[in-house]
Amino acid sequence: MTELLAVVVVGVGTYFSRSIFILSLARRRIPDSILVALQFVAPAVLASLVVALLIDDQGKVAVGIPELAAFLIGGVVAYRTRNHIWTLLAGMTGYWVIRAFF
Amino acid sequence: MHIDRPVARRAVVDALPLFVPAVPFGLVIGLAISESGINTMVGWSSSWIIFGGAAQLTLISLLGAGTAVAAAVTAGLVVNARHLMYSAALAPTFQRQPRWFRWLGPYVLIDQLFALASVHLDDDPDVFRTYFLSAGLTFWSMWQVTTAIGLIIGPIVPESWNLEFAVPILFIGLLVLGLDRWPKVVAALVGAGVSYATAGLPNRGGLLVGALVGIMAGALAHRLRRD
Repeated sequence: MTELLAVVVVGVGTYFSRSIFILSLARRRIPDSILVALQFVAPAVLASLVVALLIDDQGKVAVGIPELAAFLIGGVVAYRTRNHIWTLLAGMTGYWVIRAFF
Repeated sequence: MHIDRPVARRAVVDALPLFVPAVPFGLVIGLAISESGINTMVGWSSSWIIFGGAAQLTLISLLGAGTAVAAAVTAGLVVNARHLMYSAALAPTFQRQPRWFRWLGPYVLIDQLFALASVHLDDDPDVFRTYFLSAGLTFWSMWQVTTAIGLIIGPIVPESWNLEFAVPILFIGLLVLGLDRWPKVVAALVGAGVSYATAGLPNRGGLLVGALVGIMAGALAHRLRRD
């Protein structure tokens, strides 16, 4: 039940962010300082998310050589191919292969 | 209602290739739902209630990892904040549209649809509406199907593959694709560093601290480079 509520809240919030300027009749402009900050939301949040997902039950970041290598491989492949399919395949394959050695 | 078929067909043809890169993303969301322990239908309902990959994956993976609900919801909302820019950019075009479309259109306003719509801003209002809705409906229905397939595949994959690790790899991919300027690299590195340093905070609260400090660091780097 809590989880459904969480989905609904994020859904309403997402709709709000997509509709606010379209629905508000006045042609309000976003202040420049907000526009600048908005550009950095995605990189800052995504990088923080990667770290947050690696935290174990003891509150430590559980990251070893296989994980770091997979991120490096995935990052390089994403940069070169700009394609999620290759990024996932290369990152996961790198992770499995290197994990077998450690 | 009269539907301009050639316009609708062109919208679908334009939308399909743009959806291809989103296929693995949708599959990973389905996998993440099946691994998270969240009720399957509740998890899948995010595909039509939220209809936004980054927010869905953020919310589901964090809830599945035992993050406090408030922190997971906040992260899910923040990651979609870029839509404010789309909304502002399309607002003048939507002024010429009927009320029902001003309410319905934003629901399907994802990255790909914004990219398509932004080259049709000066179309005749009726043509724009048909194009926007046809492309939007294409993306929407493909997304429901793709995430459902991920959900079906999820339980079949052996546990030892650690497929949940695909989630951070996908986030790394999204991150790298967005790094077109140095201040964004600063935002990412500071965000990750602060999240690492605050990892001990209860309920993964360090996530929000890291994100906030990262955004401020990016804005600061942006200002320093301009001066």
